[in-house]
Amino acid sequence: MELATQLAAIVAPVFICAGIGLAWARVGAVFDARVVTSLVYNVGAPCLILATFAKVKLSTAALAEMTIAGLLCYAIFATIAWSVLKASRLSIPAYMPSLMFPLTGAMGLPVCYFAFGNEGLALALVYFTLGTIGTFTVGAAIAAGRVTLGFLVKQPAIYAVAFAVIMIETDATMPTWFVNTTTLLGGIVIPAQLIALGVSLAALRVASLRRSVALSLLRLSMGFAVGWAIGEALALSALPRAIVLLQSAMPVAISNYLFAQLYNCEPVEVAGMVLISTTISFFMLPFLLIMVL
Amino acid sequence: MLADIAAVIAPIFICAGIGFAWGRANAPFNTEMVTNLALNLGVPCLIFSTLTKLEVPPEAFATVAGAYVAVVAANFAIGFVALRLAGLEWNAFLPPLVFANNGNMGLPLCLFAFGDQGLAFAISVFVISSVGTFTIGLSTFAGSFAPKVLLKNPLLYVVALALVFMIGAFKPPAWLANTTAIVGGLGIPMMLISLGVAMSRIKVASLKRSLALSLLRLGMGLALGIVIAWAFGLTGVARGVIILQAAMPTAVNNYLFAQRYDRRPGEVAGMVVISTAISFATLPILLWFVLQG
Repeated sequence: MELATQLAAIVAPVFICAGIGLAWARVGAVFDARVVTSLVYNVGAPCLILATFAKVKLSTAALAEMTIAGLLCYAIFATIAWSVLKASRLSIPAYMPSLMFPLTGAMGLPVCYFAFGNEGLALALVYFTLGTIGTFTVGAAIAAGRVTLGFLVKQPAIYAVAFAVIMIETDATMPTWFVNTTTLLGGIVIPAQLIALGVSLAALRVASLRRSVALSLLRLSMGFAVGWAIGEALALSALPRAIVLLQSAMPVAISNYLFAQLYNCEPVEVAGMVLISTTISFFMLPFLLIMVL
Repeated sequence: MLADIAAVIAPIFICAGIGFAWGRANAPFNTEMVTNLALNLGVPCLIFSTLTKLEVPPEAFATVAGAYVAVVAANFAIGFVALRLAGLEWNAFLPPLVFANNGNMGLPLCLFAFGDQGLAFAISVFVISSVGTFTIGLSTFAGSFAPKVLLKNPLLYVVALALVFMIGAFKPPAWLANTTAIVGGLGIPMMLISLGVAMSRIKVASLKRSLALSLLRLGMGLALGIVIAWAFGLTGVARGVIILQAAMPTAVNNYLFAQRYDRRPGEVAGMVVISTAISFATLPILLWFVLQG
């Protein structure tokens, strides 16, 4: 019973917020995804990074450990995804980013936050930032077939991370006005992203069920296995181990769909993967949480 | 003291500033959606979350509400007489003199000045002010009484639900508390950003009259706040909240109604912009006065 209450406290906010988004789309209320994405990426996310690292005093060692663990995960995801897609003769530009980049923002951040508080959020943000950088460089390059660094330079999150690293290295205590402002604006990120996720899910359709299910299962099981293995291999302590596992095992990120659409790489198929992997993930989340709690 | 004042003002200036810059840069902004997200989703959740999280005695909550009813009534009486003496249309100018920006500006101000306790009292004021705006305010502009609009506002239902928890002195389950806390995070930043956007878009007509009426709104509000806080024997946080809320500039809603019913929208717009600008400039002094106790 105790565990059920604890699980509900973590999973319910994610379900309900995404559900609000779904309902929003179903009743046909206005939802301008561009404005929300723009607010989240240009204002909210950088502020959330600044606010969290101003409050949680993460050590340089912990930051480095999480960065290495995250980079290893993404590198192994890329290797496995490339091999499987090659072996099954599927399009690499279309499917590889979706297999590589999990939903570490909209779903990973609230789950880690409600499961482990601000400490968990700080570590989850490190993994998330690596994923964002990866999505906008490697992911976009794979989908586009060429390297474009333009996206990256325009991402304010990059500058926020640079500033956060300086805060950590200099052990600076930020003034209250700074913490208040960034906390307020950072508060947009999780609810807005989850509602936007729900709205997108309402619009997505599954084109080829079998392939989408197969690739979704690959994303989730690979994520889980690699996340677990990295925790073991690096002998991570309990909290970073849990965060690596949770973030790695998230479903296909919605940003993959946006790039697939932009570069016309089978967007309908990618949409199916997003929808199916997210649905499976909603059911698996309680079990995943039982493992790490 | 300076750091305390900065901690209160910076979030408000910066958030509204982001909205203002957003509007000036003509970046896509969907006011309908943002208002919907803020007022129908964010603020109701923020209200529920704040009121159930704290041990706010229902009597103190009711006393603040009572004091603000007195503030509104006194504003109404003085405003009516002043407009009659000046020979101005009271259908157009009375609501903007009476109804202050207790949401967009008042809520964050009281939160950062007095913490969650301040926010809880500020919500009490906001409820009275919203009910007044949608009944007396709206019917003054419209020239007829239409209380139905009020029933569509989720505010009343949420407050009623929160009062059940407050009076029964029980806590909501963790899943509900977490969900409303996270969605409530949308309320204040979204409101402030849309305030900024509104400021950048509203055009001012007839500077002189708008300036005079703005000064009346702010001066009368401050004086009434001080007198009524004293008359009700309020001290500490409750006193601070009543004074701050009473001295807020003209609410943006007034402009929307004036536009809808064609009651001098240009001049009411001028009151919104000018009183907000003056208020921003005088806020440090007001806070210094209130924080001194």
